[in-house]
Amino acid sequence: MTQSLSKFVKELQTIVGEENATDDQAICASYSRDQHWHFVPAKNPAYIVRPANKEEVRRVLTFANNENIPVVPYSTGINVRGLTIPVHERSILLDLSRMNRIVEINPEMKTATVEPGVTFGMLLEETKKYKLRPAFPDAPLTVSVLANYYLRGIYQTSAVDGHDHTLSYEMVLPNGETIKTGSRSLSEMPYFRYGVGPDFTGVFCAHPGTCGVVTELTAKLYRLYDNRKEYFVGFEDAGTPRKIIYNLMHDELAASIRLVDNQSWLKGICGTFDYPYEKLPKFVLCVLVEGVDGIFEAKDKLVQEYITESGGTVLEFPEEFKRTFEEESLGGAEKSCMVFGLRGNYHCIGLYGPLTLAAKYYEVHEKTALEVGIPHDHIHFYINPIYSFHGQLCYFELDIFYDGGDLDSARSCGITMRSNSIGCWIWVFTAGSDLTRG
Amino acid sequence: MEQERKEEILSAIHHCVKCKLCSISSFHPAAEWLPLCPSGQFYGYQAFYAPGRMEIFREILDGEITEPSEGLLKSAYACTLCGACYERCKQITSMELRLPELFEEMRAELVKKGWALDIHKNIADKIKETRNAYGEKYEYEAKSTDGNADVLYYIGCTARYRVPEIADAMLQIFDKLGIKYQVMDEEWCCGSVLLRTGQVEAAKELMEHNIEEIKRSGAKTVVFTCPGCLMTFERNYPDMGVELLHSTQFLTRLGSMKVKKLGLEVAYHDPCHLGRDLGIYDEPRAVLNTVTDIKEMKREREEAWCCGSGGGVKSAYDEFALWSAEERLKEAKEAGAEALVSACPFCKRNLKEAADKEGKGTEVYDIVELVNRSLEG
Repeated sequence: MTQSLSKFVKELQTIVGEENATDDQAICASYSRDQHWHFVPAKNPAYIVRPANKEEVRRVLTFANNENIPVVPYSTGINVRGLTIPVHERSILLDLSRMNRIVEINPEMKTATVEPGVTFGMLLEETKKYKLRPAFPDAPLTVSVLANYYLRGIYQTSAVDGHDHTLSYEMVLPNGETIKTGSRSLSEMPYFRYGVGPDFTGVFCAHPGTCGVVTELTAKLYRLYDNRKEYFVGFEDAGTPRKIIYNLMHDELAASIRLVDNQSWLKGICGTFDYPYEKLPKFVLCVLVEGVDGIFEAKDKLVQEYITESGGTVLEFPEEFKRTFEEESLGGAEKSCMVFGLRGNYHCIGLYGPLTLAAKYYEVHEKTALEVGIPHDHIHFYINPIYSFHGQLCYFELDIFYDGGDLDSARSCGITMRSNSIGCWIWVFTAGSDLTRG
Repeated sequence: MEQERKEEILSAIHHCVKCKLCSISSFHPAAEWLPLCPSGQFYGYQAFYAPGRMEIFREILDGEITEPSEGLLKSAYACTLCGACYERCKQITSMELRLPELFEEMRAELVKKGWALDIHKNIADKIKETRNAYGEKYEYEAKSTDGNADVLYYIGCTARYRVPEIADAMLQIFDKLGIKYQVMDEEWCCGSVLLRTGQVEAAKELMEHNIEEIKRSGAKTVVFTCPGCLMTFERNYPDMGVELLHSTQFLTRLGSMKVKKLGLEVAYHDPCHLGRDLGIYDEPRAVLNTVTDIKEMKREREEAWCCGSGGGVKSAYDEFALWSAEERLKEAKEAGAEALVSACPFCKRNLKEAADKEGKGTEVYDIVELVNRSLEG
């Protein structure tokens, strides 16, 4: 049996304990790939280190810095696009999942302060006691709150929550120094985004662990309402629902607005594969209304009027579909991950763009995919409007669900995405960077 | 491994999207974070969750891992093969390969390379010598009441040598109900422990013997109190043309028994082989409900927390096995149960050991013990 411990591992074990640092090849192999392995090749870290607190993080980073060892931070490990797959030889993978304390929930400030290992599921379990919720990404509720928000909290499932959920954080730099952003820099009060001088919270956001390791982050929480109602409206094309989506956004009427095609994300929104989705209109607009007494009824009345004039068909879905839609939108994505069951793997371009281009995005996506030989039934998309961006900005996802065991299929998927990223107007975020590595 | 099978396995591994929803029970609608993977929860590294373990298997199949490191063996063998990950995964992704079988094949590959755990090899040696998994050289005392009876009770190694109160209870139930039965003159280990630990070849002789004995008995129904044995007969043995029933299925089929309520509030622990492997959830509850009041635990049925002892874990990683059992006992207490009841000798043994270690008086039973106690006769 191989048992040689390198001197580096011994040093790391003195910091985090014998059980929490290893260079065992098999243990390292378990961190070697994520879902996008076709585009980001597998690579084993040289060491896995699992610190328990920020002091251990600081000591590991200082050691790595002195020894010139690359460090890849990893929160809960639910990644796409190779964000925690090492690029360099002899990298340390810093597995922060042991740091899973919810440091504080402050119902007065409507904030939560968390460590990197706290997942959306863990957080909601606590915040719901105060009738509060975090803003959820359309990613499994097993993902890290801190890492998602630090990466800007993209593609959320609620139209009302907006984009930046981060208020402040604490980041350990490679030299062992600590940066505190926002009001943390002046006091122990972490509740305000802006401190003296520039917005350092924003400066470091969206660097996936390349500037330092965020050990604690304070984020906004949002209210949970008892009054809720759901609507599903069918359309045969992606352009017609534009008007109702605009109206719902403009009047800020719905908590969640999601336009999906009938063969992919709708299955997760409804929570079952077992339904004749193919008989539904090609696109389905899912709308969730919520609010306090009085306001809820008024909003609901307006939503119903907009639906009536939308030109769509109101779909009667079973009650459990409605419940699942609520849960997936405002309680964390679980069944949404059923899209992985369509063919096993998926790749997408996620982008922010104006609602007016919705039909164009879909057209370009479909055309380029067909051109490189992707079967029509592998091509999907969805829109999540986010009205607090102002105007008509939406999160779009141009998806292809493919069989990961079929390398040709994966290759075609990559070509499509590359073509798409030229053809579309990408505002914020594209998949292009990882494709260049594949 | 044959190329075709290797490709099937790699394809299944490639389909894992690493969402790790397999590590928690259904979150909605209760919005409670309840871990489901004992090995991941205990050891923490990704290697101990299903997605990480699959990556290790991939590197073995691709020839990248060429030596048996400590981490490799622990990741491969410190898994109870409880199948909770698979239950969750199939709800979400329609995964085509059962994860416990995938991990069994991973172990079989390790065994082929000569990388079995010494303690598991020792079990194989004991079985070869004594035909039981515990290396005991005495016989559990049980005699057929009728050599031509239609019912044969396959007792199993654990009920014969570690928790005989279960075998005693089952035999007494037969007697009280006036049911004639056979036991095998020479009951050999069913081979479950060997198959679960990748020692496939070593199980073949045992299976051949048991098949021969059962055929010779002329029995029409074989009753098991051990779900591990039952699952092995169902899945690994060829069809012998006899009916295979768990004790609770057998008792349910008998209809109403003259039993009295024992005045106990209990929680029912679904054994992994009985529940997730064989889909038997209702019969144990139906039987238990006739003699006790059942308190629901948070993780039940397909999403039950494993007791921690299966898949060769009890013999190799006892600390982990007992920790898992302690977690289950805590859950039973939280549910307000006075006792935790299972339908598996292996579960009972581990849960009882943990309860005794804890010393706080949670009683642990098998269903047949309570049925026997409450049966008038």
